Amino acid sequence: MDRPNNTPLVTLRNLHKQYGGGETVLKDINLAVNQGEFIGLIGPSGCGKSTLLKMIAGLTPVTGGILDIAGKTPSDARDRMSFIFQEATLLPWLTVHKNIQTTMRLHRVDKQECLRVADKMATLVGLENVKGFYPRQLSGGMQMRVSIARALSISPQILLLDEPFGALDEMTRDHLNEELLRIRSIEAWTAFFVTHSVSEAVFLSTEIIVLTANPGTIYKKIAVDFPYPRTAKTRESPEFQRLVGEVSHHLRSVDR
Amino acid sequence: MKKHLIWILPTITGSVIIGLWYAIIVIGGQPDYVLPSPWQILQACVTERHLLVPAALRTGFAAIVGFVAAVGGGSLIALLLASSRWVKMSFYPWVLVMQMTPLIVLVPIFVLWFGEGLPSITAITFGICFFPVVANTTMGLVSTDKNLLDLFKMSNASFTQEFFLLRAPYALPYFLTGVKIAGTLAPIGAITGDFLAGTASTYAGLGYLVQNYRSQIMTAELFAVAFVGCLIGFIFVAAVNFVHWYLLHNWHESSLKAEH
Repeated sequence: MDRPNNTPLVTLRNLHKQYGGGETVLKDINLAVNQGEFIGLIGPSGCGKSTLLKMIAGLTPVTGGILDIAGKTPSDARDRMSFIFQEATLLPWLTVHKNIQTTMRLHRVDKQECLRVADKMATLVGLENVKGFYPRQLSGGMQMRVSIARALSISPQILLLDEPFGALDEMTRDHLNEELLRIRSIEAWTAFFVTHSVSEAVFLSTEIIVLTANPGTIYKKIAVDFPYPRTAKTRESPEFQRLVGEVSHHLRSVDR
Repeated sequence: MKKHLIWILPTITGSVIIGLWYAIIVIGGQPDYVLPSPWQILQACVTERHLLVPAALRTGFAAIVGFVAAVGGGSLIALLLASSRWVKMSFYPWVLVMQMTPLIVLVPIFVLWFGEGLPSITAITFGICFFPVVANTTMGLVSTDKNLLDLFKMSNASFTQEFFLLRAPYALPYFLTGVKIAGTLAPIGAITGDFLAGTASTYAGLGYLVQNYRSQIMTAELFAVAFVGCLIGFIFVAAVNFVHWYLLHNWHESSLKAEH
């Protein structure tokens, strides 16, 4: 599935989404995403950004245009993709350690390997001390870490994140953003990240896509050129603030 | 202190109730066959124990059989109902119709079909207990978290994986709620069952004893039967609650102790 550098990993051409022959959710979406990019999707409610993510995941069918993932259809490319939902979406009857293993077990990874990788992932996201806990014993931020560990356990090539930190307080969110980038520097997946937070999008992304609503179209693509690693310091730089202002401005002009 | 109150307060209220009971007898002067005293009821429990104990065992056994049938049969019906929207739409109204039918009217038919005794009693207990199991389990099976289903779909989970690793455990708390309700109904179902379909030769449970004592206006003994039936109910509910707690206490909100 690895591609030469000049070929995009994910290609969306004139992508179209309609629900049941009625409402058009997404229209004329054109996007070429190279390996290793971090795409921030932002736009008003109803712009179809979550739907776009679900289409890439193969969870909802494409109704027009082309969606190509390294020469495969979304449902064929699934085994190298992970989805992180807005809620942690854990199995409440399993411990943290077993929750991390869920996806691997469904992929029929052998038991020893599951245990080894789950341990590694728990350490990677800072859960090594709560492996035996049940989800309800953890805070929202910790639950999200479990969700991230589970998603990363299958070494995905593409990570789809649907407002994963939307329900968390700002401090936890900032902290998890930094963690996410730290992990990315080790794991190097390509990411599609849906968010409502402009500063989050600017902090994480290599490129921000601003979408319009009803129907969802691409309004603006904004490259974000800050070098990685980005840290808490990055947020304080005037350049960062300027870009947040610019994206907010675009967002305001589509949200009418 | 709080811990002791759990015992002290009900003991006080119980004593007050017994006191009132005696007061009514003393003031009203009702004959024994109308209102026996608690002491007479206790005596009846002892003198009639040669009848009460075997009858209680039979009723307990019938309750267990009917309960197991209702839980097993009810879960099976729930599985079918949850298997597809079409099946549910087609059959759920008829399950409701079955539930709404006054069971007592069906008893003679059951007796005709299955004969007097345990088979009919089981059928009656089943009829009384199965609905809460069906309704709750179906609800649990169809309300699996949408995102979790997507997560399994992303991992190309097979049907059996999805069922055993996700849908079934997700439905467990719902199922156990149904089982709890069925557990409280089962002893009532069994007593009703052998009241209506028990005979001396086929199945002389507590219900049959009621028939017997009624015809002789043995009121204290009737109260004794009620007392024994209540005991069976308590044992049943305690057992079912224990299973509920055992299966859920690690992870489900309903079985968690309040956090300090």
